[in-house]
Amino acid sequence: MKPTIILLHKIIAIILFLALWELLPRTGLLNPLFIPPLSGVVTSLRDLHASGELVMHTRISLVRAYIGLLAAVSVGLPLGLLLGGWFPRIQTATEPLMELFAQANPVILAHIIIFFLGIGESAKTFIIAWLCVWPITFSTITGIRSVDSSLLKAARSLGLGRWQLFIRVVLPSAAPSIFTGLRLAAGYAFIMLVASEMMGGSNGIGWLIVQSQESYNVTRIFAGATVITFLAVATDSLIKLVEKRVVVWDAHVSEDYLKLKPMAGENL
Amino acid sequence: MDNRWASLRHFLLRWSGVALFLVLWEIGPRLEWIDPYFVPPFSTIVVEIGRLLTENYLGIHILVSVWRALTGLLIALAVGIPLGIALGRVYPRIAEAISPILRVLSQVNPFSLLPVFVLFFGIGETAKLVVVGWVSLWPILFYTITATRDVDPVQEKSAASMGISSWDMILKVILPAALPTIFVGIRIGATITFYILIAAEMLGASAGLGYLVHNAAMNYQIPRIYAGATFIVIFGYLLNRLLLYLEKLLFAWREDTSSTITATSKGVAPSWRPGRGSVYAAGVALFIVIIFGGIEVQKVNQEAASVDPGSHSRHFGTPVDAGSGN
Repeated sequence: MKPTIILLHKIIAIILFLALWELLPRTGLLNPLFIPPLSGVVTSLRDLHASGELVMHTRISLVRAYIGLLAAVSVGLPLGLLLGGWFPRIQTATEPLMELFAQANPVILAHIIIFFLGIGESAKTFIIAWLCVWPITFSTITGIRSVDSSLLKAARSLGLGRWQLFIRVVLPSAAPSIFTGLRLAAGYAFIMLVASEMMGGSNGIGWLIVQSQESYNVTRIFAGATVITFLAVATDSLIKLVEKRVVVWDAHVSEDYLKLKPMAGENL
Repeated sequence: MDNRWASLRHFLLRWSGVALFLVLWEIGPRLEWIDPYFVPPFSTIVVEIGRLLTENYLGIHILVSVWRALTGLLIALAVGIPLGIALGRVYPRIAEAISPILRVLSQVNPFSLLPVFVLFFGIGETAKLVVVGWVSLWPILFYTITATRDVDPVQEKSAASMGISSWDMILKVILPAALPTIFVGIRIGATITFYILIAAEMLGASAGLGYLVHNAAMNYQIPRIYAGATFIVIFGYLLNRLLLYLEKLLFAWREDTSSTITATSKGVAPSWRPGRGSVYAAGVALFIVIIFGGIEVQKVNQEAASVDPGSHSRHFGTPVDAGSGN
C-alpha cells in the first residue's frame, strides 16, 4: 500500500474515533455522565482557557515534569556512563541495589520524602526524578555494554585516544539505547507528575483533576486528562524527532512507546 | 571447584552494594547521623515486618493485593490477546489505521482516569480492577499485535500448504510462535500493574499493601511505613525475577527470549520443560487464588464497611491531611 493511503486510513480512523466519542454519549449508548461527549470536553477546555487557568496549570505541570526529567538525566546519564564504562565492578556491586531502588514505588516513598522535604516543589520534583532516573541509568549502562568490541578495537588501532574513543565511538553506539531510556523516563515523568500533584499542592493539571473530582465535574476531569495525554504524547514525539536527527544510522527508531524494550532490572 | 569459587565471589560482589546500604541504614540512625524518629534503623523495620507477619496482618493485605493484580491481569489478558490476534492477523489494515489512536490511548494517564472510575464505581473493587486492567491491557495488546504479525512466514506457509484450517492456524502455529513475545508484554503489564495497584490502594481502599502503608502514614506509625514499603519493594523485585525466570524457563527453545542484557543473565538450562500436568497444576492454583482471594476480599470489604462506614471514602489526603483532618 502507498504511504499516502495508509495516512488517509489513519486520518479516517481518527475522525471516526472522534465522531464516536461525540455520538455515543449523545445518543445515550454510553452514559454521558461517565464519558462526556467530545464537544463538552472542548467547551470545558475553552472555558478553562478563557479564565487563564488552562495555560497557568499546564505551564506549571510542564515545568515540573521537565525539571524532574532534567534532574533525572543529569544524574542518570553520568551515573550510567561511569558505571557502564569505567567501573564495571562497581556496577556489578550496585546493580541489585539499583534494581531494588527502582522497585521503590515513588507513591509510597512520597510518605517518607514528605518527612524531609515537605509537600512543596522539591518533593514533587524529587518524586518525578526518582522514577525517571532508573530507566535512564539502566539504558545507558546497557548501551555502553553493547558497544561492538570490534569497533572499539578498530578505533583504538587507528590511534584514537581515550576521550576521542568515548566521543566518537562509545557515545554514538550507546545513543539508541540511551534515547529509549529517555523516552521511557519521559512517559513515567507524566504519570508521576499527576500522582504527585494529586497528593498535595494547589496548582497543576493533577490538582485540577482532583478539584474537578470533588465537584463531580467529570467533563473537566476529561479535559485535564486530555491535556496530560497531549503533553505526554508531544514530549514522546519530540524525543523521537531528536532521536531521528541524532541517530541517523539506526533505522529502528520509530517504535511505539509501549514497545520500547524494558531495560535490565527496570520496571514499570 | 574453581568455578564455584568464582561464582560465589561474583555473588558476594553483586550483593555487596545492598549489604553496604543496609549496614548504613542500621548504623546511620543509631549514631544519629539521621534523625532515628524519621528513619528508624533497619533492625526496627525487620522486627516490624516480623510482627506484621506473625499477627497475620500482612497476610490478608498480601492476599488482597495479589488477588486484585491477578484478576485485573486476567481481564486484560482476556481482552488483550483476542483483540491483539484479531488486529495483528485478521485485520492488519485496521490495526495500521488505528495505531495513532492506540498510541494516544496507551499514554492516557491511569492516575487521571482514577477519579472518573472512583466517581462511577465507588471505591469498591470494580474501580481498582478497571484501573489495573486498563494499565496492563496496553503492553499485552501491543506485544500481541507485534508478535502475531511477525510470525515466521516459512512456518505459516508450510502449515498452509499442508491444508491447515484457519482456526488451527491461529491455535497451533501463530499462537505458539507468538507466545514468547506475548509473554514479554504480560511481564511488563504485570510489573506496571503492581506499581499502579499500590498507588490505587493508597488513594482509596480498605485493604491491600498500598492501604497498609497509607494507613500507617495517616497514623504516624513510622516504622510501619518503612516495613510496608520494604515489603512492597522486595515483593515487586521477586515478582519481576519470577517472571523473568518463567520467561526463560518456558521459552528456552527461543534464542533471544529476554530483552534484558545483564551481566549475570546466562540463561537457565532447560532442565525442566513444563508438561501438560504442570500447566494444569498452575491453572488450578491460579483458580484457587482467584476464588478464595475473592471470598476473602469480600469479607475484608464487608468488615471495613460494617466497622466504620464512610471513613475510607476519601483517601486523596496526605499525611498533612491526616494531621488536621483525621
